[in-house]
Amino acid sequence: MTDATVTRPRTRRDAQFDRIRDREAKLAGTTQRKGRFLSKFLNNRLAVIGFAIFAVICLMSLFAPLIAQHDPMSPNLRAIAKPPSAEHWFGTDKTGRDIFARVLYGGRVSILVGLGSALLSALIGVIIGVYSGYVGGWLDWIAMRISEIFMSFPQIILVLLLVAILGQSLVNLIVIFTLTGWGGIYRMARARMLSIREEEYVQALRSFGLGPARIAYKHMLPNALGPIMVNITLSTAAFILQEAGLSFLGLGVPLSIPTWGNILNAAQDLRVLEQNWWIWLPVGATISLFVLSVNFIGDGLRDATDPSQQG
Amino acid sequence: MLTYIARRLLTLIPMVIVISFLIYLGLELTPGDAVSHMIPPDAYGSMDEDRLQELRESLGLGKPFLVRYWIWISGVLQGDFGYSLAGGVPISKIFLDRLPATLELSIAALLISTVLGSILGTISALTRGSLTDQSLTVVGMLGVSIPEFFFGLVAILIFALNLEWLPVGGRTLPGYDSFWDRLPHLVMPAMVLSIMMTAGVMRYARSSMLDALSRDFIRTARSKGMPEWRVNILHGFRVALTPVIVLIGFRLPVLIGGSVIIEQVFQWPGIGKEFVSAVRSQDYPLVMMVALFSVLAVLVASLIVDLLTAIIDPRVRLGD
Amino acid sequence: MEMGNDVALSVRNLKTYIYTNNRCNRALDGVSFEIRQGKTLCIVGESGCGKSVTAASIMQLLPTLSRIEDGEITYHGPDGPVRIDALERDGAKMRAIRGKEIAMIFQDPMTALNPVYSIGFQIKEMLRYHTSLGRKDRHSKAIDLLRSMGIPLPERRVDEYPHLYSGGMRQRAMIAIAMSCNPRILIADEPTTALDVTIQAQIFELMDTLKRENGTAIMLITHDMGVVAELADDVAVMYMGNIVEAGPVGKVLRKPVHPYTRALLDSIPVLGRGKDQEIKAIPGQTPDPYNRPTGCQFADRCAYRVSACDEMPPETMVADDHRVMCWRYQEFMADAAE
Ligand SMILES: Nc1ncnc2c1ncn2[C@@H]1O[C@H](COP(=O)(O)OP(=O)(O)O)[C@@H](O)[C@H]1O
Ligand SMILES: [Mg+2]
Repeated sequence: MTDATVTRPRTRRDAQFDRIRDREAKLAGTTQRKGRFLSKFLNNRLAVIGFAIFAVICLMSLFAPLIAQHDPMSPNLRAIAKPPSAEHWFGTDKTGRDIFARVLYGGRVSILVGLGSALLSALIGVIIGVYSGYVGGWLDWIAMRISEIFMSFPQIILVLLLVAILGQSLVNLIVIFTLTGWGGIYRMARARMLSIREEEYVQALRSFGLGPARIAYKHMLPNALGPIMVNITLSTAAFILQEAGLSFLGLGVPLSIPTWGNILNAAQDLRVLEQNWWIWLPVGATISLFVLSVNFIGDGLRDATDPSQQG
Repeated sequence: MLTYIARRLLTLIPMVIVISFLIYLGLELTPGDAVSHMIPPDAYGSMDEDRLQELRESLGLGKPFLVRYWIWISGVLQGDFGYSLAGGVPISKIFLDRLPATLELSIAALLISTVLGSILGTISALTRGSLTDQSLTVVGMLGVSIPEFFFGLVAILIFALNLEWLPVGGRTLPGYDSFWDRLPHLVMPAMVLSIMMTAGVMRYARSSMLDALSRDFIRTARSKGMPEWRVNILHGFRVALTPVIVLIGFRLPVLIGGSVIIEQVFQWPGIGKEFVSAVRSQDYPLVMMVALFSVLAVLVASLIVDLLTAIIDPRVRLGD
Repeated sequence: MEMGNDVALSVRNLKTYIYTNNRCNRALDGVSFEIRQGKTLCIVGESGCGKSVTAASIMQLLPTLSRIEDGEITYHGPDGPVRIDALERDGAKMRAIRGKEIAMIFQDPMTALNPVYSIGFQIKEMLRYHTSLGRKDRHSKAIDLLRSMGIPLPERRVDEYPHLYSGGMRQRAMIAIAMSCNPRILIADEPTTALDVTIQAQIFELMDTLKRENGTAIMLITHDMGVVAELADDVAVMYMGNIVEAGPVGKVLRKPVHPYTRALLDSIPVLGRGKDQEIKAIPGQTPDPYNRPTGCQFADRCAYRVSACDEMPPETMVADDHRVMCWRYQEFMADAAE
């Protein structure tokens, strides 16, 4: 039926449309729903790759004692600042410590700081946010004002201020990150609660006479879990970046403990930067890769849990 | 419009008071004699205990806490920020010396990331699903995942140490002080500092633009026979811009925070670098003052963003 | 169907498929109709039956992932017929037709206007691209247009932003935009669904006046049979991508031949017939657009279904201007004649 005199030039899209149309024509009458899920899964392949990288780096750090051939702390005066070799995969640093071992062991601390602070601040933020978002009142008012105060500082400046006051240690760093990080997730949880509060099932539960804590934590919280998960992944990424930055400045985890940031600290020296690339490049790449994988997971989670993101 | 500004200012004032109060609390609780950072250190050194006691009285240190706070804040309002413990320099002088460098760096980075981020995000949205869009998305992801200082290190290695195109760091060489002499120094730090924000703005501009393009008024504009550029830019981008500006306002603290580390990497003589050494040497007066002013900077920035959105978006402008 | 020279636009066997989510939705599966100059064609049907896609096909405002597969859309303009379906979607030729020759107003005036530009800007934009008026003339023309749409104080309101207009006002402004270049055809896609009942009547009255004064052909999409009776010259009843019955309003409403048309008419209360009247909702739901029946689309919900309905019925002329798509039309015609 196509009129030969008026045809539009075919494009790549036309071929794609033809393919879909022909496939549907073949399947006409049969119910077929798998395509959607399958394509959705394939669309998230970045998240899958991210999760794989994340798992590999976590496992390698976890089993560092089994993988690393060298002690991360003990200097070796006969192998100072040696480039990568079969013996030392990532080379050695200026005191002759094996960098590969340091990256593995450093991962333990960095991931602990990142994930630990993210989980702790999520715990605090969610507990306060869910309750105060649902109940409101003076508690909500106070929590909101406190979070406003915390959030009016540029985060790293507040962190450094607290480091100056509390002093440098691993525990302090986690405490400081948690203190400065709970505000964001608190606000998110609170906002979710405010919107869920108006839904009918919540009104119904209230009419059954359920207590506010039970309604908030048992019935409403599960409906806010998606964005909370996304938030936890994203703040894990942010905390790992911050730990790296602080330790690079020499103000994060004490330099005696290997962390990714502490290893990078050596690159403040221009000579190291220029001549001993193996001291800082691999660990920088590791941080980047890890944070990238966490961000991919976060994006994947967001797509999977956000109903407004269709097609 | 004026009442709008006034009202916004009024909501900020309690916040500023509370935070300055906390900062003063911090100053009092941190180790060190309170007198020591209120008078020049060499004067402090040459005083005997009686004289110090006298001074404490006259400075009001024996008075109740609120009175002491009042004395302190009045001083701050008149430009008396106290003295740095290291070297005994008045903090106001440090600010005057270092602020221009920090402002120069931050504003350059802000400009780069705003312009680049919104252009790239718009391109990404307009070519949605294409190879360009996908590559930009991945590049944006890399931008928010790679630590800025690591970017800085790599950039120094490549452009300064190997290619020798740009200086390793610093803001100027002695004797070469014109804008054109300083520009090469600014290029790397500003670019590196802007990376994370550019990526953030890009991602956000993309989704904001996609959102705008899916609105009904875009279809209306097409139905009027407007050319595509007009539909996309005048109708789409214009509407997508407001949330992007709001985001940039929200992200300013991140930029300010980033400059703390980037100034260190590039030995940029700004407040951030000064702040880091103050934290290292536990120079509490200086640390506290920088923190106080960073809060002010953030609040002022949010005020400016509010005004900008009010100017850009008629619904905000008149809708109160 | 003879092609009288009063035809402003003809659509023949139009098939528009939508390909979102990697599926093929045969949104329009062979649609034919004509819009006559100075007349109103009403397209009725339940939501999801393809009314908006029909309008979007004519304007080439379809979603990106969609395609006109087959058929012709011919605009009979002053310079001879133009095959719209062969034009590049957002090309210069199509843009010259949009707004100037065929204008459109949309369902929700709250969202159809750009919130960041004044109403005047949005009218003048149209004048700027389709007329040779200068800046000052455009401004006064915009004011005139608003005035003739019944907007009070047009000199002031022309510079106001949409959020200061009420819903009815916005739809008037929307009509002002659409009518600004004196289009030959006005397509209105459920223009009053989002408005209060009292405002609805005013808007329809305005459209009717415009039609009479300017001789504009109107294609009005609605699912309100009352509006059809009031305004239409011709009616096309759509169901799942087909026009199941079409003809002059008198014939289609008074002597409906298709079971779906009858069901539609039975499902609305008629004013003045008292509260004893029988109102019958159409049983069942419209089928899944991705999983359409192979035969008559309405068969599953039809009380008169026979085995023949498993095949798609052809379009049959029951009078020289009355067309139906049903296997059992003869029985219904006899029924209607009684
Ligand atoms: N933008 C779109 N994207 C995907 N599917 C669409 C779009 N617009 C319409 N459709 C589909 O096309 C069919 C007809 O829709 P439409 O023409 O909007 O119905 P209505 O008669 O209510 O205006 C429906 O199955 C609908 O799902
Ligand atoms: Mg519709």
